[in-house]
Order: sequence, then C-alpha cells, then structure tokens
Amino acid sequence: MLSAVLRRVFLSLLTLFFLAAFIFAATEILPGDALDVTLSADEMAMMPPERLAEMKRDLGLDRPAVERLGAFLLGVAQLDFGRTIISRAPVVDIVAYPLRNSLLLAGAVIVTALPLALILGVSAARWYRRPLDNVVSTGVIVGYSVPEFVIGTFLVMLFAVTWPLFPATITASTRDPALTLLAAAPLPVATILIGSIAYLARILRVGMVDALASDFVERLRLMGVPEWRVLLLHALPAAVVPSLMATALYAAALVSGIVVVELVFAYPGLGQELVRAVTRREVHVIQAIALASAAIVVVFNLLADLAILALDPRTRM
Amino acid sequence: MPAFNRRTFMKTGLAGSAFLASLDVALLGSAGAQDGAPKKGGTLSYAQLSANRRSADATNARHPYFIVDANTRLQWNCLTWVDEKLGWQLEAASKVEPTDDKLNVWDVTLREGVLFHNGREMTSEDVASSFAYHRLNAPFARQIVKIEPVSKYVTRFTLEGGNAEFPYILAEYNSVIMPAADAKTIGMDGIGSGPFRIVATDPNRSVIMERFDGYWRKGLPLLDRVEVHNREGQQESALNGLRSGQFDAVLNIDARAAAQFASDAAYDIETAKGGYSFVIQLPKHPGSPFLDKRVRQAFAYAIDRDAIVRIAYGGKYGWVGNDSHLMVTDPAYVVRQGGRDIARARKLLAEAGYPNGITLPTLYWSPQLPEAGRYFQVVQQSAKEAGIVFAIEERPNDGYIQFRTGDNDLSKGNFHKFAMTAVGSRNPGISLFRMRDAFVESGHWRGPEHDQYIALYRQAMVTPDAGKRKAIYAEMQKILHEEVPAILPAGGDTFLVKRKNIRNMPYHPQIWSIRFDEVWKA
Repeated sequence: MLSAVLRRVFLSLLTLFFLAAFIFAATEILPGDALDVTLSADEMAMMPPERLAEMKRDLGLDRPAVERLGAFLLGVAQLDFGRTIISRAPVVDIVAYPLRNSLLLAGAVIVTALPLALILGVSAARWYRRPLDNVVSTGVIVGYSVPEFVIGTFLVMLFAVTWPLFPATITASTRDPALTLLAAAPLPVATILIGSIAYLARILRVGMVDALASDFVERLRLMGVPEWRVLLLHALPAAVVPSLMATALYAAALVSGIVVVELVFAYPGLGQELVRAVTRREVHVIQAIALASAAIVVVFNLLADLAILALDPRTRM
Repeated sequence: MPAFNRRTFMKTGLAGSAFLASLDVALLGSAGAQDGAPKKGGTLSYAQLSANRRSADATNARHPYFIVDANTRLQWNCLTWVDEKLGWQLEAASKVEPTDDKLNVWDVTLREGVLFHNGREMTSEDVASSFAYHRLNAPFARQIVKIEPVSKYVTRFTLEGGNAEFPYILAEYNSVIMPAADAKTIGMDGIGSGPFRIVATDPNRSVIMERFDGYWRKGLPLLDRVEVHNREGQQESALNGLRSGQFDAVLNIDARAAAQFASDAAYDIETAKGGYSFVIQLPKHPGSPFLDKRVRQAFAYAIDRDAIVRIAYGGKYGWVGNDSHLMVTDPAYVVRQGGRDIARARKLLAEAGYPNGITLPTLYWSPQLPEAGRYFQVVQQSAKEAGIVFAIEERPNDGYIQFRTGDNDLSKGNFHKFAMTAVGSRNPGISLFRMRDAFVESGHWRGPEHDQYIALYRQAMVTPDAGKRKAIYAEMQKILHEEVPAILPAGGDTFLVKRKNIRNMPYHPQIWSIRFDEVWKA
C-alpha cells in the first residue's frame, strides 16, 4: 500500500515538473519569448534591434533557454514567479488571493454539489425508468446544457433584481476574509452548482444503474438483504469508484473553468486575473495561473487515486 | 369564480401598492416633507464605468495617480476647482494671482487651517513638494519651471511662459496637494485634505472612504462613508447592482442606458453636456504613414462622424468633433468645414502614393466609456469605404495609459501607439495645448505649422482679454483642421444614474471634478 502511494506521489511530482517545463516553453520559447508576446507587432516592427536587445537583457531573455528554464523551475519550487512586466510587482502578490478566492468558490460548489448529486443520482438509479428517473434525467440534461452565463444572468434577474435577496455583483474585496466572500457569493455558487450537480448526478446515476444491475446485487437481494443496505452499503461504493476519477477531473476543471461566472459577477478570482493578464500580455502572471491550475488538476487526480487505492483493494496490487 | 388574469393581477398589485404606500405615509410621515433639509449620515455606494487607466498594485493603490477612481476630489484637494460651468474657483487656495502682466509668475496663497487627514496643517512646503512631483509626472504641470515657498502659506510658481489660464492647471485631477515627502514616497499613504479619508483599497477594484471630520469646509461632508467600485467594461453588472440596491448610483452610463432609465420613476438621470470625446493619436515616428499630411487628411475625410453620433450616442446625445480637443459646448469651438468626403479622401490617398488604398497599423482602443466599442467599429468600417483598412484591437483599461504611451522615448526607438484615449472637457488653454509636439496625443506633430500653432498658443496665453483669446483659438483650430495632427471624430454627453433618495448630486462635464461634499441621502 505504502509503495503504491509513494509511486503515485512521485508520478504526480514528475507530471508537475513536465507541466512547468511545458508552460515555460509554451509561453517563453515558442513561438517567441515574453517580450515578443508583450510587444505588439507594430512595436516589434518599428523598434531598433539594439533597443530590443537592451530590453531582452533587462528581462534576462538574452540568457540561453535552458538556463532560463532552470531559473524558472527553481523559482517555482520557491513559489517565486518573478515580477510583472509593466508594474514590476511580485507575481505571487497578484495571484495569491485570487487563487484562494477561486478555490473557495470551487470548494463551496463541490461541498454542496456532491451530496445533492449523490441523492439525485442514487434516487434516479433506484427508480430507473420510472417518473422520478425521467424527471432527474431531463433536469440533468437541461442543467448541463444551458451555458453558465445564461444561468447566471437568469439568477441575477430573478433573485437580485426582481426579488433582491442576494447581491447581483460582488463588492467584497480581493483580500476580504473567506466567509465575507462566500456570504457575498450565493448567486455565483448557485450558477456553477446547477451545472455541477447535473454533471455529477449523471455520472453517479450511470454508475449506480450498472451496479444495481450487477450479479452481486442480485445475489444480495436473493439473500433478503434490505434494499436500503443493498443501495447504500453495497451498490453505492461500487458505483463511486469509477466515478471518482471523473469527479476529480471535474473538480480540477472547475477551478480553471469558472472564468465566465467570475466575470458575470465581478468575483475577485483567478478568472478575472487571467483575463486581465492575457489582455495585458503579462506573461509571468499567465505562467503562474497556468501552473496553479495544472497543480490543482494533478493534486485532485492524486487524491482520487489515493481514494481509489483505499476503496478498491485490487488497485493495491 | 372570476378568472385571475393579467389585468386582475395588475389591479390587485396596484391596489396593494397604494395601500402599502399610504401605510408608509401614515406611519413614517410624508417623504416629501423631509426632502428640503439635507440630512447627515449614510453610505453612498457607486459604480464607476470610467475609472483610472493607470494600473495599481498593493504598493501604490492609495496614491492619487493610481487610485481606482480618477475623481480625486473625494480624498484630496487641489488649489483650485473647476465648477460645472467650467469656470475656475478657489479650493485649498484663498488667492491665485499673477505677479505681473507677463503672466508667467503666479503667487498662490493657501487658506489657513486646511488640515490633512493626519491632523497636520497644509503649508506652502506641501504645495512645493507636491508640484515638484507633479511637474515630473503630470503632462499639464511640466510648464512649471520653479516652485518656491515664499512664506508659510504663499507659494510662487514660475512658468516657462505666460499662461492666462494657469489656475485651471492647478485644478487638474493630478494636481492634488499631498503632505510633503520625497518623490519616491509622496502620496503613497493616501493622505489628503479632502472630505473623505481612505480606509481601505483593493487595487483596480474598489476604494472605501469615511468622512473626515477635520475637513476645512465646515459642516461638510454630509455622508459618513463612500464606497467606489470599478465596473469598467461591465455596465450590465453595474446596472444590475443598481437595480438590486447594492449601488446608489452608476457613473458614466452610455446614452442607451440613460434613455432606458429615464423612463423609470425609481431613478434620476443627471446629464453633463459636452462630456467626452475620443482622440485618435496618429504616431509620426520614422516610417509612419502618418508623416504624410495627405494620409491624415484622407483619414479625417473618410470617417463618418454623423454615423458615430447616431450609432454610439443615439443621435441627440452626441456631437461631431472638429479634430481639436475642444468640446462642442465650448464657446471657442469652431466647426470643421468639409464634412465627410470619400472622393476627396481617395484623391488624397492617391496623391500620397496609395492609389489602391492603404493598410494602417492596428488601432488600439480600451472600454474607457461604454460606447467605445461601437464608436471604433464605426470608425473602422467608415474608413474602409475610402480604402483605409486597419484592424482594431481592444485593450483593458487597467494599465492602458502605460500601454498607449509606452515610455515614449523616440531616441530609444520606443514609439507610442496608433491608439485612442478619452478626452474630457477643459478650458481652451489646456485643451489646445494638448496638440503640442511634446505630447503623445498630437503624435509628436512637428513642422512650421506646428510652430505657428504654438506661437499662437503662446500669444493667447499672455492675452488677458478673453475675447481676443477666443479669436486666437479660432485661428489655432483652423490650423488643426488643415494639418490633422490627430483625429477627434465625435463626442457625447455623459450621464449618471442614481436612486431617487440620493440628493444634490449633479453631474459634471469633468467627471473627475464632481464634488461629493454636499451629496446626501434621504
């Protein structure tokens, strides 16, 4: 068991290393360096070569790519992503709180979505092809298909404008305490929640339908095991294991995929910061956000792997 | 049983509302009876759709150059203030006068007892220190060559030349008075002498202020707290915040939104005539197509200015620009002759060596006002009809000023962009001075016509008679119409929308000069 855990942790670290190298290469080497990305085509065309060389020297871009990659990875290991190109502010200062805020939003969604999706998925599977299943399945398709900005706008019109129960736009500050931010964000959470529940309930329903149709469930039923025990203690764990990896991937995608919702509600998260960094061509900020998102995917995958290790003895072999 | 239809619902709803309203009056008294007397206290929370274009971070977010809202009158004072009719008035100064009729040396006397938020009294040392910073960092203040404290309250400004309109320079939003400090640290603490002191900032996002009890205008401000939220490029989000009760007002909404809210009894629309226009700077660095006057003239003739007024400003809220920085509301404004002329534009291009049209560099724009996107699409499409082709690219407001101008050192090959920026209402002296060669908005226009333009400017600045100055300003504008150093195609009124219970909050043609001292909440 311990060696399996260590192997997965090592593989995760290796994946992170390659991801960091890839992000560096994608943003600084291919097709040009940070300066090429930051300057407009017109500027590049008009700038004298000696001035360009001077600027590259100032930003350390005249050093060999391998040397810069080494410095980048060393910086990443120390959580130092350098400074912004325009204002020379430390990138970590710019990214840290938005990252926390996005994790907070994603965390609130996951904590709420999982039990609700579980109830819906299990219920739909229990009453498979009955009216409840039809209602859940239809609702899931609708919830999964409608874009988040449509849901967000609809919720704002309903619960902020028509009935002013919740804030329509987030006025809390980037560095406000977590609870202050969450208290201001019921509509952003609800907006992401609808799609999340739909996705997770769909996966769980399929897993549960398969589990309930399996031989071991049939055998338990023949043995006279009460239906609720069959459902919750036997079928559910069997259904959860294959769903875990999909859930982990979804949770990871959530953090990087809530850009639209953050923009609709002016939520001070990573999405807003990423849009600002891309439009301002702040390469170092983009690198930090890309790496943070990648790290979240890797960590969630690792957690899912570890959970599967714990739940399924066959994987410890 | 009678059917419960839409009509029944409306009638029931209206009857219910009337009943609740009468109950309100019975229990609380008539609101109208309380309207007359300004009330102290309360929080004003507003969203700003045209915030500061300088990018801030945690280190400088309290500095007047980087604070979220360019309306620095909340936290600081200038020596003078420009009122709603664009006349200047004294603010922290009690006297501003030239020492002789050359108008190049001015003595400014401070009011006694103007306190900073840290409790210290403002003196001429603070004025000198603040302007030592401004003259290095604010274009308008660069004409000041020397600043000397003469006594505790008197400061002497020596200018590079006479300037009859110098008091307007002292009222610019950058020209605030900060507690004396060295150039690296001055202003960073956010301490001013304005009606509100900063209690919290979120860089590029919001600023929270509370009433300053030591404010020199006794009995003011009336509000306890002001919260400003940046919603640039997010008009719908801001208006949803207004509708849901989060914001009391939204500043700089576009003409369409203003028309929509004008018919809603729950809100007031305040209009500032003249308001804003946009300048398209035409860089004249080596190799630029804009070095050729005929290309600039062709561009000016190609743009459909009436279409901009119609599409971006809904017709009645807009006006055609004359390629100077003057607003149509300025008495010195001179109409540009010729209008749109595609044939003439094509002929000029052919003469310049572009018989098949010309492809210009990318034109950059930022959503400094909500209508900017529509505005520049019309510019692009109408120029195309004359064979002038260019891409347009949106850039964020955050940091746009740095992006647009760069460090703009021509000797190092750093060139400013072919880009727009918003231009506010100002007195003719400041407005027309923006077309000087040393300023990025003129695209560093040079040549004998420029020299003649500047000579006229210098002459106007030492002409105390306003009527004679106006005649000189007309001559200057005619040079601009012929030379087209930059293009200012059209402009429009600006609007704020506020809830009915926000009182005494008239809008201002200079959005950075609104005073919130006497705003109150019923």
